[in-house]
Amino acid sequence: MKRILILSLLALIITSCGKEEVIEKGAGSIDIEFDNVAVINNIQNQLSLVTPGSTNYNYTNGLGQPFNLNLLRYYISGIKLEGPNGASFTDEIKVDVAASKGIYLIDESKLAANIITLENVPAGEYNKISFTVGVDTSGVKEGASGGVLDPATCKMFWNWNSGYIAVKIEGQSPVSNGGVGGTETLNSSSVNGIAYHVGGWRNVEGSAFVNNNKSLSFNFDTNAKVEKGLEPHVHMILDVISLFKGQNMIDFTGNHNVHKPIDGKPLADNIPNAFSFDHLHQ
Amino acid sequence: MANHWQTIYPMRSLLTIYTNRFKLPKGSYTNGFPFYFLAMKFKIFLFFVGAIIAGCQKENTEEVLDPYVLRRPDYFPEITYLISGNQISKSGFELGKKLFNDPILSLDNSIACSNCHVKAVAFTDPQHNPSVGIFEREGSRNSPMIANMAFQPEFLWDGGITHLDFVPIFAIENEKEMAETAEGVVRKLNASPIYPTLFKKTFPSLDTITAPYMLKALSQYMLLLVSDQSKYDQFLRGEVNLSSEETAGLTLFKAKCASCHSGALFTNYAFLDNGLDFTHKDIGRALISARVEDTGKFKVPSLRNILLTSPYMHDGRFKTINEVIDHYRFHVKDKPNLDVRLKTDGKPGLPMSDQEVENLVSFFKTLTDYKFISNPIF
Repeated sequence: MKRILILSLLALIITSCGKEEVIEKGAGSIDIEFDNVAVINNIQNQLSLVTPGSTNYNYTNGLGQPFNLNLLRYYISGIKLEGPNGASFTDEIKVDVAASKGIYLIDESKLAANIITLENVPAGEYNKISFTVGVDTSGVKEGASGGVLDPATCKMFWNWNSGYIAVKIEGQSPVSNGGVGGTETLNSSSVNGIAYHVGGWRNVEGSAFVNNNKSLSFNFDTNAKVEKGLEPHVHMILDVISLFKGQNMIDFTGNHNVHKPIDGKPLADNIPNAFSFDHLHQ
Repeated sequence: MANHWQTIYPMRSLLTIYTNRFKLPKGSYTNGFPFYFLAMKFKIFLFFVGAIIAGCQKENTEEVLDPYVLRRPDYFPEITYLISGNQISKSGFELGKKLFNDPILSLDNSIACSNCHVKAVAFTDPQHNPSVGIFEREGSRNSPMIANMAFQPEFLWDGGITHLDFVPIFAIENEKEMAETAEGVVRKLNASPIYPTLFKKTFPSLDTITAPYMLKALSQYMLLLVSDQSKYDQFLRGEVNLSSEETAGLTLFKAKCASCHSGALFTNYAFLDNGLDFTHKDIGRALISARVEDTGKFKVPSLRNILLTSPYMHDGRFKTINEVIDHYRFHVKDKPNLDVRLKTDGKPGLPMSDQEVENLVSFFKTLTDYKFISNPIF
């Protein structure tokens, strides 16, 4: 009996030692929060979603066309942090049948999901972040994956041109002539529907395949200090108004029903300027 | 008499093996056999027979390959599927097979994968052109063969799917096929009295059934559907010779067809216009590539099991192989998109004599894999 006790104690010690080794010395965590806003007259307004079909139009695009939104959801993947003194952290992507590590689904209707906590980040100072908006080849080549990539539940999967939608937006505009059916929040009776399912991950040379995933980098205005016991919090901003203007004006009277990579390109090209670093606190 | 034999003779099982091996009806050794008289001596005799058989069987089991391992014949293209992410097991394969044959995958539980992918005809649909899905809805395309999926780079007639796991979800959610949602199927599987146990057996770490697990199981089944036992395969392995007609057919095939229907799987996986129509109801590859030039182009299909897989073409418009060959001989439409290999001396079509057509069909017969369609494991 005693022998068993001693042995199990030993086993406990050994396993706990093993666990500690996984965490790097002095590593800490950092939070990356994605705040979805509507910038109007240079003022950030917390985004407010409406119930589908609402005729209460709280925003206008670059062409002065009013609109509102029922849904906003997008993937963030491949986050990388870098510092002025060589500190570096890559949030590795590892997808399998059970989970999708390193890929995050930001959903305006589930605010808790908008904070990404990166753990086991080596101690140091960081002043730069890079990430991809969307899920690139690495998330598709493994085939059916779990977690936020589960094709049955993520509602971000194209089954006919297999791959993931990077950014999904649905709403209404009075200038839209509708015809948007079979989406999450719109149906054939939604006369003013607008739908932007922006995806496409393939780059095939000499073809019209469009990769609408965008890799972005931002500098912080100060250093985020990571160490054990500290958990700095970085605020990134997505301005939805900027998604509809900038490089390309999105016209709700024409290109308002997007379900193909090529059709989503104009909006995808606005993505880089719609994201920005806002502030961080230690 | 047989029962009596069973009760007093302990080596019956060995005798059964013995009789089965030589395809004698059971009991033929017992009927009228002067049993009591010879029992002892016979026992000794059988002991030796048993020992010999056991010895032989040992040799045999060494030769029998584990059927639940994906093997690539050395003349096949490389395996495209990442097996490391989905290790095939017997239980996973059987689960996939059960799902493949279960109408639970469709909205009203009326139609299974196997309805339009019938094993007896190399997992194609012999009845409909194009295929008919749920609620008798007519599809726009011909149900393709499910064989040698492990070696394919892209799936469907338009190549819209780049990973085997995602093929079933397309059929499940297609309005004209199964009209269900993957979410709906998962709900039904979790509520089923049998599936949770079967999934747990294959994927021990699983808590509840999710779509990725279902799709991995279906892939395990489809991955092992390898068709490499046709006469042509035996020929490639140097086990048999082709007849003179078959050889003539192969020579003609190499000259006229093999630039597109190339390699061991008889396809270069290109998307081409084979001159069927001037206008296109189905834009084909352009649906995926969004290029006008790809309008009406479809994937070059494999020709393995070609004589089993009627109807032919992406929309199943031809019922017989002779109609297909006649299309290439006489009816190829001249158009800017037409693949240049379908022209001869600047004119559309591939001229062949009637004798050449006969030889070609003789060659096609060597592509039928009877072991594949009769494999009890599949």
